[in-house]
Amino acid sequence: MDPVVRSAAAVRPAPAYVPHERPISMPMSTTTSLDRRRFLAVSAGAALSASALSGCAASVSDDGDSGGKSGAKTTLTVMSQANELDPKTIKAAEQALGVKISLITYDATKLNAMLAAHNPPDLVRGSGALETPYFAARGLMTELDSYFEKSSVLDPSDLDPVNDLWRFDGKQQGAGPRYGMAKDYSQDAMFWYRTDLFDAAGLDRPSDTEPLTYDEWFDLGKKLAKHRRGKVKVYGLNATGLGNFAMFLNMTASGGGSLFAEDLASVDFSSPEARNALKWYLEYARADIGPNAANPNPDGWDWPTYQAGRMAMACDGYWFGGAIGGDAKKAEVSRFAPAPQMAGGTRISPCFGATGYWIPKEAKHKDAAWKFFEWYFGGRPAKDRASSGWGIPTLKSLRPQMPQNTTFQKQAFKVQEQELPYFSVLTVTPYVQTTALDAVINKVLPGAIKSSTSPGKVADQLNAQMNELIAKGKELVG
Amino acid sequence: MSTDQLAGRPTRRPRPSSPAAGTRGRPAGGRLSLRQRRAGAFYLFAGPWLLGFLALTAYPLGYALWLSFTNSDGLSPHVSFVGLANYREVFTDPDTMASLGRTGLFTAITVPLSIIGGLLLAVLVNQPIRARGLFRTLLYLPAVVPPVGAALTFKLIFDRDSGAVNGFLDLLHINGVPWLVDPYARWVLVALTMWAVGNVMIISLAGLQDIPKELHEAARVDGASPWQSFTRITLPLLSPVIFFQVVTGIIGALQSFAPLLIAINPTPAGVTSVPESNYFYMIDVFAQYFANGRYGYASAMLWVLFLVIILITFLLFRLSRGAVFYSVEPESAQTKRRTIGGA
Repeated sequence: MDPVVRSAAAVRPAPAYVPHERPISMPMSTTTSLDRRRFLAVSAGAALSASALSGCAASVSDDGDSGGKSGAKTTLTVMSQANELDPKTIKAAEQALGVKISLITYDATKLNAMLAAHNPPDLVRGSGALETPYFAARGLMTELDSYFEKSSVLDPSDLDPVNDLWRFDGKQQGAGPRYGMAKDYSQDAMFWYRTDLFDAAGLDRPSDTEPLTYDEWFDLGKKLAKHRRGKVKVYGLNATGLGNFAMFLNMTASGGGSLFAEDLASVDFSSPEARNALKWYLEYARADIGPNAANPNPDGWDWPTYQAGRMAMACDGYWFGGAIGGDAKKAEVSRFAPAPQMAGGTRISPCFGATGYWIPKEAKHKDAAWKFFEWYFGGRPAKDRASSGWGIPTLKSLRPQMPQNTTFQKQAFKVQEQELPYFSVLTVTPYVQTTALDAVINKVLPGAIKSSTSPGKVADQLNAQMNELIAKGKELVG
Repeated sequence: MSTDQLAGRPTRRPRPSSPAAGTRGRPAGGRLSLRQRRAGAFYLFAGPWLLGFLALTAYPLGYALWLSFTNSDGLSPHVSFVGLANYREVFTDPDTMASLGRTGLFTAITVPLSIIGGLLLAVLVNQPIRARGLFRTLLYLPAVVPPVGAALTFKLIFDRDSGAVNGFLDLLHINGVPWLVDPYARWVLVALTMWAVGNVMIISLAGLQDIPKELHEAARVDGASPWQSFTRITLPLLSPVIFFQVVTGIIGALQSFAPLLIAINPTPAGVTSVPESNYFYMIDVFAQYFANGRYGYASAMLWVLFLVIILITFLLFRLSRGAVFYSVEPESAQTKRRTIGGA
């Protein structure tokens, strides 16, 4: 598909418009015309030949380089984000690994197009929690067990269990071959809050150890939100840090249920646990106390709004502390809290990301990609990340390097350590990407939020649309 | 093109009917004939374009046509042929039809508004006024802004909580409204489209300047009012330009995509956050491709849109016959008339 389109006003330039009566007859000498054309043809031919020859010359030179005779390097194509693989890191990787790195900015659309064209990058940034079953079920990922076995850098016994989110045995996530590894992770249903806004509202701060119920959290959000002339001056909370589907998955599981059927081939939003989650979300959105499907956050993520003092509580995992830690004033008034739980349910605290890298099955330089893997996950970058506060390291041996210098860092570390026992894996379906399920939510919920649609009806719409997509995806996976 | 053709004379070349006639155009000694040399030069110059067309247009179109008969998601190994099922779904899926209807309504509103607005602005800046060039530049400036940039700017201006518009309303003690969601989002989109009306203006201005002044002067001498002069002289002589704007405007509006992204982050799932009133056909196509992974269905949607555009364009050309006045007749019409007249 060509997404380059124009608005109604963006019309093409007018063709040559000749307002006078007749086309002008131009008497021409055939000979002259012919000579000129011949001259042009010969010139063009010469030019093309010259460029072709120079192209050949260039390719000969390149071939020679790629043969390694003159010390040329493999070019490793990495699809990642520029802030995670900045020029300094790329340079360090090139020096350490003896390869040339070509960075493609991560874009889900571009990745799908490259995979469909059988021309994928050598390494792809991705979410182990949400993407592994989908890509693995389609045979698009390289199995990495043999690489791990041979590695002297990445010892499987040192891998944090979160890396199991990158495993899939054809039916179940968490078992079977390893397809990737997380660079760091968080328990993403936890939240950060601003003590200055709590103090200004005269509210008690959330406990460091005992989770709030979602209803208590909502009440706090209502008390902290500030409205003025139809605008929200301060959001009480943002409940959807990492996508709506992941949030519903977690809330339902927290209530003791499951969104997916056992065979992962259908969803059920009609169960009491899922309906409770829907009811909570509809009330939250209708109260207009935080970004939601009907009024999304224009910033796209929480940090700018949180930093500006316009968001009292942000549902983001430990990684968000990396952003807060970079602003001393905000760090002073920021604290971390356990993940809220549905009343009467079980205490869980899942990871929705486990962001890391995987090597596509059709990657051209798998061995070089694995070298990058070892360097990035077990070398200097891994140590730097561990001490930065932008997530929990995925090697157990690096855990002591998590920052604990300031009051803010100490509190965050302590709360995070206490939360770890409640870590849980929420399996997703291999039949469709979670973006498709999020897309259904984005389509159905805005109307439901504005009208008085009941959670039951919303559940029916979500079930119908999501299950149709899952069924179509199942046909393709077999 | 031969000199005969350039002179407007129909060409009559004898067809080779015998070996002797067949070698008439080829000089002895293996040298190429004039016709062959011309053909060679044509293909040499047109070759790069032809290669580009085959690789970047014909092949993708053909591939999309093939995809439209499959259930492909672009990634899975078990793709199967589904016949016309995707096409049937396009015409029976209420969501798809609704998105097509919204796109049609948007086209019906914005194309006439843009053309009338652009023409009025062109008439204004065609007047002999001071700083005319400055006005022309200022009015044309928004049309130069890339659609995505313009959409992002509008997103910032119309944001409910931190946008300039609600900030201004706040100063006047008026409650702000959520401009980027329903039911206001459609009007922000119309405003964005009209903001870039300078593009239409500049084309209309070029058309206006090609109308001989003598015609207006003669009309004035004959006692015609400015309105009569405008409707009897300006509009008919401008009709080919207006027709061009109608055709390209409709095609562009039916394919609208980038301006619709004003409210959201253009990720695959984010695209579906577009407010319902702005959930146009191309947004649905994008969502089907990249959020839902339905390459087959989305390809069928694109082919349907392609056929709709072809049909509308054909109808427009048929309907325009009595309404568009060309001061230069199309070459085909001249040739036809001469042939009938025995020229």
